[in-house]
Amino acid sequence: MIYSDKTLPHRAHPSLSPAFPLPALRRGGAFWIGLGLLGVLCSFAVTAAPSPIQSDFDDDAVLVTLPESAPAKVGAPASQKAMAREVQRLIAEARRSGDPRFLGYAERVFNQLGSQKLNAPLLVLRATLAQSMHRFDAARKDLQTVLDRSNAPAQRTQSLVTLANIELVQGQYDRAQLLCERLRTEHPGLIASSCHAQVAARTGSAEAAYTELAATTRSASKVNIQGYLWAQGTLGDIAAQLGKDSAAKHWQQVLSLDPDDLYTRAQLADWYLQNENLNQALGVTEGYDAVDNLAVIRAIALRRLNHPEAPALASRLRERFEEALWRGSMLHQRDLSRFELDIEQRPKDALQHAMANWDTQREPLDTRLALRSALAAQDKAALSRIQEWLKQQNQSDARYPEAS
Amino acid sequence: MSIKQTLALLVMAAFASTVFAHKASDSFLYVDMNASQVRIDVALRDLALLVPLDTNGDLKVTVQELRAQRSLATQAIENALTLTSGQTACELRGLTWGLSAHSDGPYLATEYRVDCPNGEPPEQVEYTLLFDTDSLHRGLIQITSGETRSLTVASPDKPVVDLTESAVGAWSTFGTFLYEGIVHLLIGLDHMLFLLVLVLPATLINRRENSQGTARSFKSRLLQLAGIVTAFTLAHSITLALSALDVIQLPIAWVETVIALSIAAAALNVVWPFLGRKTWKLAFAFGLIHGFGFASVLGDLTGGVSNLALALAGFNLGVEFGQLGLLLIGFPLLYALAHIKAYQRFIVPLILLGVGSISLMWVAERAGSI
Repeated sequence: MIYSDKTLPHRAHPSLSPAFPLPALRRGGAFWIGLGLLGVLCSFAVTAAPSPIQSDFDDDAVLVTLPESAPAKVGAPASQKAMAREVQRLIAEARRSGDPRFLGYAERVFNQLGSQKLNAPLLVLRATLAQSMHRFDAARKDLQTVLDRSNAPAQRTQSLVTLANIELVQGQYDRAQLLCERLRTEHPGLIASSCHAQVAARTGSAEAAYTELAATTRSASKVNIQGYLWAQGTLGDIAAQLGKDSAAKHWQQVLSLDPDDLYTRAQLADWYLQNENLNQALGVTEGYDAVDNLAVIRAIALRRLNHPEAPALASRLRERFEEALWRGSMLHQRDLSRFELDIEQRPKDALQHAMANWDTQREPLDTRLALRSALAAQDKAALSRIQEWLKQQNQSDARYPEAS
Repeated sequence: MSIKQTLALLVMAAFASTVFAHKASDSFLYVDMNASQVRIDVALRDLALLVPLDTNGDLKVTVQELRAQRSLATQAIENALTLTSGQTACELRGLTWGLSAHSDGPYLATEYRVDCPNGEPPEQVEYTLLFDTDSLHRGLIQITSGETRSLTVASPDKPVVDLTESAVGAWSTFGTFLYEGIVHLLIGLDHMLFLLVLVLPATLINRRENSQGTARSFKSRLLQLAGIVTAFTLAHSITLALSALDVIQLPIAWVETVIALSIAAAALNVVWPFLGRKTWKLAFAFGLIHGFGFASVLGDLTGGVSNLALALAGFNLGVEFGQLGLLLIGFPLLYALAHIKAYQRFIVPLILLGVGSISLMWVAERAGSI
């Protein structure tokens, strides 16, 4: 039974997204991409020498603490049921910690299976994994197969939620709307209501969506904690879109019940940062330097406070992003873009990554970053592209007054 | 405290002070073709998946535990790393063994001398460590060959990487950018028009000159021309380099507007020398801004190029070749035309008027996008 467990996708985890190739050079963008890479190459010129090899140590020194949940040893795959359990455990660990290595371990399990026909729970898991790695089309395909093939309510619900979520993240609101409808028919409740509210909010009816979902949430039973958290997270997002102070309350509620929800933590940290509550931003990001999106928000807050720790965190992030660029698969394009914009102050590089990210993900924070980068880089074409899209969707958001 | 102890403490402090990043797993391979050496850094955390590093099961790996598993660890790494020359595997002879730091924590670092048959340098490297444990694992490879450093990646889909490519790559990079430099000058109408306007004064025949002075003045014209071209070249090379190396960055919309403006100003200056008669000074001053324009094109092309200096040199030289070629054809032509009576009275004013209006149109157009 997957649905009752933690596998329920929490939107798209911005922090878990390895392995998608650099965007192809597009006309117009090519200049900025070139210039951006130039910058990166130049910084490589400085850092290209590997760090020295140390060979003098105290025998008792602890070098590294290993994670508790190591992947199972490579071996002949057991039953599909056992494999589903293992994959689910690994994906949950990736979400909890923000550590993408676990996604690689999970994918390895599928590779072991070869061309074996997967059962519905494994298909849902493979789609969840693909979604985490921003391979949205692969995820869609698996979820559609489950919906076509399986009659198990848990798998169907899970598939509908994940599919609707992918469409929402990618800004395909018409398709999301249809999926929310199906979800309401097959599994009515707070998750279906949240689904509808989210679509309505991003297509021009934020105020009504907020009021309605708030009322539904108040009257709903809190026994279904999953649905309750989902609704609170959605309310937080719509409140932020409307510029309401209650956004923080909703998100704090989610975090008090589930402190490991990194998606919500990042939303809250971002909200504090946006409203210049810098010390609060530091508070929610403290201890999360390992997670890129939280660390970038923290670095920006530290910088604005002229905090003595600011340069150290910035330089650690710089090293991380350099390694990621060498790797070539843009793990966290959004985080890199934000880092370029607000820490390195290289708007052209920022825009290049922001637009590549915006091509696949159009959540409000993706859109805001694209808008801010386009403005900072004085790129009218990019700016009007985003504004045009927002107008088509009838989307407005207090977090980006730049839209109009 | 002994120096050795202090050192050890410093190293530990370097490892302990930071919260390590969560990132997908990478190993780092540094192949030095000059010294025929290879260094490989494997994250201890990744190594622990292959070799039982945490022998006492407390989830902490100590130096002692690592030392105890040294031979197993080395074996695992050497089994996954093959350098070949021809069809034969090269031998790896251990040089250094220790720890290094990357953004996500401590790595086991091992350095080897690579001995290939007949003393040949290695041609390929195959890296397969961890690929069947973590599908997102990659081997990040840096190849140093001569003065060139290139970066590449070994993945489960492509575990074999060619090492000789980068040496060939250096020349082809240079060649490609040389060509692009020439092409850009020849299709970049604004630079051509600017050059034309700069050259025009050198073709004008001074009415007071008599026929016997012509020979001497051709020489002095060539000198004048050389001065102008050198000044322009020097100036745009400076800013092209500064911009390409990220030292100075100007908003491209402004740069393009000022370039257009520079053409109009230079055209006007031929008729009414409000910027002075020393054309080479003009060429230098405006050359500076044209360099930023060249840089924007170069930026378009350098995606994925590992040797920027070579690309820059090639591109710049290409621009000069283009410029020289243009002058070799254009100047004699104009000089020949200069002997026609109508040249000074009609052709030159017409050229100036045409160039002036085109450039002003550009100014209006480009200023609009600022």
